[in-house]
Amino acid sequence: MLSVREVTTAYQGLVAISAVSIEVEKGEIVCVAGANGAGKSTLLKSIAGAERPRSGTVTFDGKRLDGMAQHHITATGIAYVPENRRLFPRLSVRDNLRLGSYLYRGEANREQPLDLVFTLFPRLQERLEQRAETLSGGEQQMLAIGRALMTRPRLLMLDEPSQGIMPKLVDEIFQAVKRIRDAGMTVLIVEQRMAECLEIADRAYILQTGRVLMQGAASEIKGNPDVRKAYLGL
Amino acid sequence: MGLLYGLIAVGLALIFGLMDVTNFAHGEFLMLAMYLSFFLFAFFAIDPLLSAPLVAAALFVFGAVIYLLIVRFAMRAKANAGMVQIFTTFGLAIVMRGLAQFFFTPDYRSIPQSWLGGKTISVAGIFLPEPQLVGALVSILAFVGLYFFIHRTDFGRAIEATREDPGAVALVGIDKNRVFAFGWGLGAALVGLAGAIMAVFFYIYPDVGASFALIAYVTVALGGFGSVFGAFAGGIIVGLVEAVTALVLPPSLKSVGIYAVYLLVVFIRPRGLFGSM
Repeated sequence: MLSVREVTTAYQGLVAISAVSIEVEKGEIVCVAGANGAGKSTLLKSIAGAERPRSGTVTFDGKRLDGMAQHHITATGIAYVPENRRLFPRLSVRDNLRLGSYLYRGEANREQPLDLVFTLFPRLQERLEQRAETLSGGEQQMLAIGRALMTRPRLLMLDEPSQGIMPKLVDEIFQAVKRIRDAGMTVLIVEQRMAECLEIADRAYILQTGRVLMQGAASEIKGNPDVRKAYLGL
Repeated sequence: MGLLYGLIAVGLALIFGLMDVTNFAHGEFLMLAMYLSFFLFAFFAIDPLLSAPLVAAALFVFGAVIYLLIVRFAMRAKANAGMVQIFTTFGLAIVMRGLAQFFFTPDYRSIPQSWLGGKTISVAGIFLPEPQLVGALVSILAFVGLYFFIHRTDFGRAIEATREDPGAVALVGIDKNRVFAFGWGLGAALVGLAGAIMAVFFYIYPDVGASFALIAYVTVALGGFGSVFGAFAGGIIVGLVEAVTALVLPPSLKSVGIYAVYLLVVFIRPRGLFGSM
């Protein structure tokens, strides 16, 4: 479904990822794990069009994405939830969700994903009129994912959804990711918290200093003695 | 008059609020609108009141094109972006003024007779000039329209979202450049509407924008930068202060009051009366 081939992205000459290739198949949850600064976020940005790769190709269902404007990439069916969530802070929860379905016309069409969003995150429904900035970190993450679901993506990309969230909610969000997949979407998730991420993922990649260090089925990677020692602290 | 000041200022506030760019050519947009109105009258004998929507539409296109061709590139500056934007719009103002001098000549022009010009209406024994009255009415309508547009429509919500975080709207598939261009168009259309009405009762000359632009900056700063409602309220205050000053002091000093009030507000409440920053 998504195919990233030999993508290199640099910031002012500083190479953040170098010749990274990953594949995501329809219906999978794929986890990209790695330490801080490994290039995980850059990888997602390069796919979403927030950063322009220096070389390499990104194709999504046969369509070339690299070089396409970010808002056009959203329209192809990729929803991207960036690390800092980028909600519209002074707009209400309702307006934030509403903006998610901006590309669709017709009430029924626009509100179609709302049921799923409210089933996954009932708190959002209670806080509809509240400004996004007044939500807790976890609720903001829920809203960011909710807004992304409103674009009716085929592929959902999450950047560190567990960041800055109390542990109880982290679990809730990872459970939600599983249910999003069960609802027919594909998920690409980037995480520092490798253990939780591998728990829900089908396959995983480990990035280290901008390169793919290891890839395989999540269970395999979880069982790998080096990974256990270096990343899982076991 | 205050409502017209408000209408001029609201275009400025809209653009500033949306993208943190101060349009120093705002007065020249006004000048252009007044000339358009004048030429439509002189060549086609269209009354300024009728041509006002036309002028506003033309200014909308003009504003959007200015954004797409000039301002968009100025915003890409990596270093000293604020300065680059100031010089860009300031330079635009000088170019527009120069072109106006060249093509329209520095002569003072006016629209001698129109439906409204020079007429007054008597309300309970007080004589009010009709053009100003209609101007006030049009301003109020424009404000109400703008309010509903921003708060009740999808594109209005997109504008609000872009104002909040222009880098994030692509996440929901909105093209920020389109919103910015529209914002410039809308800002220009609002000042165009004001210009079209003012063409009836002001002399039209290449530098006419400068004095009004100055008042517009005061109005926007008074009301609070970026606040559309603030610009509206600021305009009314400026208009009232000006009128009262003209009563107390010699009329040639009528602007003194405006700047005195402005100074006071800046000292006591630097973010403006309704500013939230």
